[in-house]
Amino acid sequence: MVRSAGLEEHLHPLKAGGGYLHTSPEFALKRVLAMGLPKVFAITPCFRDEELGCHHGQEFTMLEWYRAGAGYREIMEECLDLLETVSAIVGVDVGGAQKITWADAYVQFTGAPAPSDEIEAMRIWVNDIEPKLISPTFVVDYPSSQAAFATVRGNIAERFELYWHGIELANAFTELLDPVELRERWLASGEARKRDGREPHPIDERVVSAVARHPRAGGIALGVDRLVMLLSGTDSIHDVRLPG
Amino acid sequence: MASVYQTSDFRNGLKIELDGTPFLMVYFQFVKPGKGTAFTRTKLKNMITGAVIDRTFRSGETVGIADVEEYTMQFQYDEGDMFYFMNMETYETVGITESVLDGVEKYLIDGLEVQVLLYKERPVAVELPNFIEAEITYCEPGVKGNTAQGATKPATIGGGAIVQVPLFVEQGEIIKIDTRTKAYVNRVRK
Repeated sequence: MVRSAGLEEHLHPLKAGGGYLHTSPEFALKRVLAMGLPKVFAITPCFRDEELGCHHGQEFTMLEWYRAGAGYREIMEECLDLLETVSAIVGVDVGGAQKITWADAYVQFTGAPAPSDEIEAMRIWVNDIEPKLISPTFVVDYPSSQAAFATVRGNIAERFELYWHGIELANAFTELLDPVELRERWLASGEARKRDGREPHPIDERVVSAVARHPRAGGIALGVDRLVMLLSGTDSIHDVRLPG
Repeated sequence: MASVYQTSDFRNGLKIELDGTPFLMVYFQFVKPGKGTAFTRTKLKNMITGAVIDRTFRSGETVGIADVEEYTMQFQYDEGDMFYFMNMETYETVGITESVLDGVEKYLIDGLEVQVLLYKERPVAVELPNFIEAEITYCEPGVKGNTAQGATKPATIGGGAIVQVPLFVEQGEIIKIDTRTKAYVNRVRK
């Protein structure tokens, strides 16, 4: 249960008990990080409304971890280590991992740079790029408009997503440390949600304060059900979850 | 009934209308880029031509509901380029042009029941049963004792289609045809 379920415009929480069910353990872990614990993680059920399909569910399991002193590149190494270790245990060969920037992925897979229209760019992503990311692929350096909680350098967000077999498995940031910037992003997403006829995500001041106090850190969220699904050779997360 | 479907209504078997053409949804998958709006990838089968296309919809987009109905109809007779069928549910007589039949007419035998797709109450596609039985109206005589494996000859059936049959099959015999492959299956009697 949380007072605010997220920062992002396209994240739709489920209401419960006068608040919300958390969409990820992100806010709680950041507050713990700010209390001085340098390495924190959680494996927890998470809840998101309006996400239904063979790779989505209103309830799913997330592994999220943060490391003080790290940036997204160090987290990438940890993530690959985890993927290789877990795969080896069940006898799955991961093969070589690739790395490509978000902008280069458009050029490589579609022959043209990403269009400036964000919706159109997303449509091309889901149609023509994501399905081709078969071997483990770290897509790095997203446009700043898709920064979420990531630190922005120039117009690049220090972020990566891990894809495997055409499915997004994880998302990581060099965590934002600027509370003023965070407040601005939160307000902007709230305005966008209002324009869309949705309730804005309330600003949780405890999270703003944690971002101001916690050390430089990298953080990552990984979809456990999707990883188990891929490792067990099935094509639906609902095959590897307890029936709901 | 609503006249549109939301992306949240998507499921296999949905009949939707795009650019004035009815499509059957044969696959759908919810996808959501990390920090973006959600989409639904679909595969849609053109209900008239059978061609399958990929189409991705943004969440919140709507699509029209296709006004389509399928009926079992029985072939009655033909006149010029019109072929007449009886709707087995309503007992109405329906005329279908050769251009809509698109080759199906060559397999029509009196009394044959076919599936007719109506779009906005007009016939747009006709589907034969998977197997039909038809009389050979013309073929060269069989060669006695010729049992060469795989050797065939052309045979014309009632509706006018030409089917490759084994050499031992004779004019006047009834044969079973797989309409999906247009191939001879076996002799039915004699």
